[in-house]
Amino acid sequence: MKVSLNWLKRYVDIDIPVEEFCDRMTMSGFEVEDVEDLSASMENVKVGRIVKLEKHPDADKLQVCQLDVGEAEPVQIITGAQNVFEGALVPCALHNSKLPNGTHIKKGKLRGLPSNGMLCSGEELCLKEGDYPGAEVYGILILQEDYAPGTDMRDVLHRNDVIIDFSILSNRPDCNSVIGVAREAAVVLGKELRLPKPAYKTSGGDVTEHIAISVEDYDLCPRYMGRVVKNLRIKPSPDWMKDCLRGAGMRPINNIVDITNFVMLETGHPMHAFNLNDIAGRQIIVRRAKDGESITTLDGREHGLNGEMLVIADAEKPSCLAGIMGGLESEITEETTDLFLECAKFRRDNVRRTARTLGVRTESSARFEKGVDTVGVEYAMERALQLIDELDAGDIIDGVIDRNNGLPAERVLTVPAERINELLGVEVPFEEMVRILNALEIETTLENGVLTCRIPYFRDDIEGRADLAEEVMRIYGYEHIVGTPMKGEVIRGKKLPERICGDRVKELLTAHGMREITTYSFISSKALDQLGLAADDGRREAVALLNPLGEEYSVMRTQLASSMLTVLSTNMSRKNPAGRFFELSKVFKPKSLPLTEQPDELPALCLGLYGDEEDFFTLKGIVEELFARCGAKAEYLRSDEPYLHPGRQAKVMLPGCSAPAAVFGEVHPSAAARFDISGRAYLAEINPAPLYEVMEKQRITYQPLPKFPASTRDLAVIADRELPIAEMEKAIRAADSGIVEKVELFDVYQGSQIPADKKSVAYSIVLRAADRTLTDEECDEAMKKILTSLEKIHVFLRQ
Amino acid sequence: MREQLEQIKAAALREMQKCGDLKALDALRVSYLGKKGQLTAILKQMGRLSAEERPVVGQIANEVRQALEEALAARQEALREKELNDRLAAERIDVTMPGKAAKAGGLHPLSIVTNDLIDIFQSMGFDVVDGPEVETDHYLFEALNLPKDHPARDMQDTFYLGDNLLLRSQTSSAQIRVMEQRKPPIRMVCPGRVFRADEVDATHSPVFHQMEGLVVDKGITMCDLKGCLEQFVHEIYGPETRVRFRPSFFPFTEPSVEVDVSCSECGGKGCRICKGAGWIEILGAGMVHPNVLRGCGIDPEVYSGFAFGVGIDRLTTTRYRISDIRLLFENDQRFLEQFN
Repeated sequence: MKVSLNWLKRYVDIDIPVEEFCDRMTMSGFEVEDVEDLSASMENVKVGRIVKLEKHPDADKLQVCQLDVGEAEPVQIITGAQNVFEGALVPCALHNSKLPNGTHIKKGKLRGLPSNGMLCSGEELCLKEGDYPGAEVYGILILQEDYAPGTDMRDVLHRNDVIIDFSILSNRPDCNSVIGVAREAAVVLGKELRLPKPAYKTSGGDVTEHIAISVEDYDLCPRYMGRVVKNLRIKPSPDWMKDCLRGAGMRPINNIVDITNFVMLETGHPMHAFNLNDIAGRQIIVRRAKDGESITTLDGREHGLNGEMLVIADAEKPSCLAGIMGGLESEITEETTDLFLECAKFRRDNVRRTARTLGVRTESSARFEKGVDTVGVEYAMERALQLIDELDAGDIIDGVIDRNNGLPAERVLTVPAERINELLGVEVPFEEMVRILNALEIETTLENGVLTCRIPYFRDDIEGRADLAEEVMRIYGYEHIVGTPMKGEVIRGKKLPERICGDRVKELLTAHGMREITTYSFISSKALDQLGLAADDGRREAVALLNPLGEEYSVMRTQLASSMLTVLSTNMSRKNPAGRFFELSKVFKPKSLPLTEQPDELPALCLGLYGDEEDFFTLKGIVEELFARCGAKAEYLRSDEPYLHPGRQAKVMLPGCSAPAAVFGEVHPSAAARFDISGRAYLAEINPAPLYEVMEKQRITYQPLPKFPASTRDLAVIADRELPIAEMEKAIRAADSGIVEKVELFDVYQGSQIPADKKSVAYSIVLRAADRTLTDEECDEAMKKILTSLEKIHVFLRQ
Repeated sequence: MREQLEQIKAAALREMQKCGDLKALDALRVSYLGKKGQLTAILKQMGRLSAEERPVVGQIANEVRQALEEALAARQEALREKELNDRLAAERIDVTMPGKAAKAGGLHPLSIVTNDLIDIFQSMGFDVVDGPEVETDHYLFEALNLPKDHPARDMQDTFYLGDNLLLRSQTSSAQIRVMEQRKPPIRMVCPGRVFRADEVDATHSPVFHQMEGLVVDKGITMCDLKGCLEQFVHEIYGPETRVRFRPSFFPFTEPSVEVDVSCSECGGKGCRICKGAGWIEILGAGMVHPNVLRGCGIDPEVYSGFAFGVGIDRLTTTRYRISDIRLLFENDQRFLEQFN
């Protein structure tokens, strides 16, 4: 909320530097977001009287002015403008001056003659017609009134003000008003608050002869007040009012419109002015709109209405969107003679919904949405009438129409003062509490240690002890809160098993040189097509956002692969030569679609590699290590993931699980291309849930170190080319009678030395017994058994 | 014979001295002291000597043998040392050449900071819990004292997934789940991912991270809140950092405060980092609102508590002086490598 300091000073004395004032307001809960010193934007611009005007001897279009700027000697300034004349009062930017548009003016020479500054146009002073008459005329701004030469232009333009932008917290709608802020300032500074006491003269008559008001929907409009003003004398507002409005960022229009705006800013209560003679049937009906009705608002837009929207209607049709914007047809113009003035309370959620639905937001709707109080409506109305009288803007008809369904009862809270200190942990003297609360207009008495507080009508936010504690503390000062160490029983903080397992997985992966990545949880709905998933793939069952930021972030992901491929692509396009990445995050699987309950949030792990050193087996090595270290007995089978190379992918099966625990391999070149990946990349998607399960069960027991030496035998065999290595190792293991310690593959050869449909495979086999040194005969026997076992799958010793 | 012995000794010693390597030295040993060596040959002639001369010459011969053996050993030792020194000199390398290592990877900076926070609070007895990212209106708003159409709901632009289902815009929802399940005393933190409909720019991300903290027990005061936060701030920013409470508003706490810390860069004097204020806002906190406690079946007349919410991304970007939050989600290898 932007507040002019001069305006605030009408109600409270602020006699400390602005910076200190802002600090103290911030520390009491009114954070200052911005301070704009209007006077700082213009420096050394003065009123000058043109005492002599001559043509420039060397330039047809230039004139040489001698100006009286209140100094002993006239100042010479050259201008190109043609609308100046001797005797005119004009704004002079003197040597070393600053203009609101940021220009610095220095003296110089124009066609050989010295010019000690510049005469200013309205545009150069950033003025509009409403700011100063003639401001938009082409040429130098000719000042209308008789100012003494040398007068600071900031005084002429009322620029000696500071605009402070306070951030008003949403529990304090009462402070979306100058009076609300002034009330707080008075408490913070320990000063008296001087509020206007409305008084005005009326011109007789009776309001009921001019208008009838009925409220049909009190649930949306708890209070509606109306007054009538006749014989309007519409004219510009006085400078002081214009200055206040401009400071708040509003443009002055005319006295009637300005008064309604002024009162809204001053009291926080929006008002609306209708042209009385445009109200059909002289009837105001506050009701829900009927389906099919429409209204054209002041901004010229037409809106279709529905039965959830509250309108102010006349006998025929809606003429105002309640609390949001008036209708074009009942607008106040220069010709309006009679006025119907409205001040009301509309329910905030209804205003909010209507304003959002129609896309109309105004200063008025903003205030109603935040909440205005019911009682204060009357003060605002009185204040407006006072100003109408003061500005002689019309004749006020006697009588008020006040429609309400009962005003809220006064609320009284009783709280033992000690209980406030118990919450704060400091000893605020009880008398100090009483003083602070009373200063905040919470009428408070203290009896037997119990505070009795009458909550003022504008403080809906105060409901109990905690609220009173906050009021006391923010004024008493939070610097009195002194930290105390944690107390209570010593308890051990625990982590969830899933977090512990996840941390362990990350540790294992980082040991393999992998870097953790973090990507968004929502992805493009096209990502699943990029992966090439089948139409009936379960991963297409994804939760969509109802209000996404864009297509790019529109569905909750059911897999991490697409995010990983995007990261690989980004790194490749930035010429990072290689990368090893992993992401441990969540995927979202709906129980049903459309979504009726929370989806399952399942942990998910994805690995991605690329670079000259990487191939299927570097990835497989990491996957194997991960499963082995976690204590899982994994089996590796061929798989058929659509986004992986059909011949270079595998799935990981764990005992007792029908679904694969992981799928990994080289990325399919077509899928890669859809992610702008040109080289080879490798990707693994791992379901951490079964991994965590085995990890939690993993109990490591020490195995005694061998006491007897091992014998190592090499074995070179010829096998069918298509026979999986894993089958051969299985056959070797099957022949083991308990002495095969290690089976290590060290060479696979295909080539000219052997038939084309065969491969040569070489193993190093380590044999050892726990209780004796093996004899050569025993080793020969074991190797013979192994060969026999291999022969069953047509694997023979290489001769 | 005596002279012969002396000559052999002199010749042998001279040759040993001249000898430059261990192999030649061993050949010398054989030629003088070996079974067919010169000294042995002399000794074989001892029988020809008289009985009087024999012990005298014998003694001399033994002295010569001993002298030669000692000289031989000394020379061997010297040559071994020389040989080692020569080898070491030859093996000299350029130690400024780069080392070889299997490079370890590392955690994302957000994880590093999150883990630091977890360590601090776990050591103070806080359980580390987790909560769903897709929340119901009840847990995200209603139970946090934000009824439908409450103006404070405007403070956060929330993503909706269904009628009553949304992506959590704050980790505060975890408070409610914990309080519904457990009775005080409660100490918990919940780090996690949150979502807001903010357009992406250098300081906004629709996905970011928070850590909620909650303490509920008998007699918990605002001073306890400050004490707890001071512990955390001193761990993160250093023991000289000051903590300031500034009044604020959150629907689920009362009183509510913004928590500022003195700027670690300038110590509070005002600089570019703190935009001249001397203070940096790091989190929101407050005493748990009685309505919230009541809603979870905890009697606010008996128990009180405090809650706080830390922005992990902000903490990360300020700690590492990262100027653009988007870098955290881009995952450029050259960025990720900088943090461990």
